[in-house]
Amino acid sequence: MDPDVIIESYVSNVVSRLPRRQRADVGFELRSLLREELAGRAEDAGRPADEAMAMALLGDFGRPQEVADRYRPAGFTIIRPADAPQFAWIALGGVALQWAITLPAAYLDPSIAIWAASAGVAGAWWAPLPAWWLTWGLGAFWWPGFLITITIIASAIRHRRRGEQESPAGSAAPTEWAAEPAPAATSTAARRIPPQVLDRDRVNRPGLVLALAFWMLGATVLIALPWLPQLAPDLPQPLLDAFAFDPEFLQWRAPWVLVLWAVSFAVVFAELVAGRSTRTTRLVSVVGGAAWLVLLTWCLAAGPIFTAPATDGVVRLCLVGIMVITAIDLIVTLRRGVMPMREPVVGG
Amino acid sequence: MVEGRPEQSGKLEQDLRKGVLVLAVLSQLRAPQYGYSLRQALAERGMPIEEGTLYPLLRRLEGQGLLASEWRIDDGPPRRYYTLSPEGAESYRDLTAAWGSLTSVVGRLLNEES
Repeated sequence: MDPDVIIESYVSNVVSRLPRRQRADVGFELRSLLREELAGRAEDAGRPADEAMAMALLGDFGRPQEVADRYRPAGFTIIRPADAPQFAWIALGGVALQWAITLPAAYLDPSIAIWAASAGVAGAWWAPLPAWWLTWGLGAFWWPGFLITITIIASAIRHRRRGEQESPAGSAAPTEWAAEPAPAATSTAARRIPPQVLDRDRVNRPGLVLALAFWMLGATVLIALPWLPQLAPDLPQPLLDAFAFDPEFLQWRAPWVLVLWAVSFAVVFAELVAGRSTRTTRLVSVVGGAAWLVLLTWCLAAGPIFTAPATDGVVRLCLVGIMVITAIDLIVTLRRGVMPMREPVVGG
Repeated sequence: MVEGRPEQSGKLEQDLRKGVLVLAVLSQLRAPQYGYSLRQALAERGMPIEEGTLYPLLRRLEGQGLLASEWRIDDGPPRRYYTLSPEGAESYRDLTAAWGSLTSVVGRLLNEES
């Protein structure tokens, strides 16, 4: 076969993977260079170029996909290697969590049971599975998709900002071949990084003050609700009824809520004073978080919290949300480490 | 799997060469060159670079504003000639200074070792 035909096919394969505006220019140049390379090889070999020689040249040049990649400017990292395991855990854990909740629910769902009966498979252990898989099972994959979408957007913005910071007009250091900047390598680089990134135990004081203010407000409302009729006698009776606590909740469960509230408040206040979280505050937070999970489970399981069913339903939903957030916070705090680093065994 | 020592040394050397590739290319483009002639020039001076690496690199450097290029017909088919742009010349000076400092430091480190 004519070596030029092979080169032509190779070049068109490479350029088809490039942006449209580059194709003609790169293709023309690449074809010309490959022909010259081939002519050079033929001259060195002392014989005319042939198919085997062309194939050897193209083999050395690389797969068309790889060559096209080399022509493209460096892309940007969507998930950094250090974040990849955490990302995988969050993405797959979210899918597993949804399955863990929706799969048992599918077995209890009367509408799925009706469908199974109509399909003539009622009573079979697997009967709810097709309906579950086609709804919640596959639907659970929205979570990794959502995470990836958000990560891509965040990475693109970060890449753009970094590009603007590192390549101002007239800059001598193009980003592509400059080594990936080591953030803390120079004082100027260190200045650009927010302090919370370098020292993750440092707390955001204004944020904590705001959190404590809301905390106090919430506690005050909780404490004040039982006396609402006395504090605001002019409020309409339906409103007062809507926010009436269940007497059993008020007597047994509510005091523990206030105790844990006080402990959590004290921990956050200690962090505010110190300006950073310490191993001790993290340890207390972990114990407190676990206690919150136990208490909230008890609050939900032991009976109504408000006498009005509508209010009770909304509050229960909110409490489930708070439990999820508490569980996430617990895991994050545990991962940050509450145990001291074990000293390595030093050989004699 | 742990690689054998020769393979590992080969990869490390490749990484080392990658670091100086841009400087080597810029050094030869103070005068206009086209891809094939540049590769030959580098190979003759003891710096062989694979064609599959060099040609895309020229494009990328041009995309970064370090090189300027134009099509010319001298003796043969049309060829794209590359040369340093003003920004590329500035970068070349900076990199040359950085290279001098680097070789001096690494040279001292290696001499200390021996």
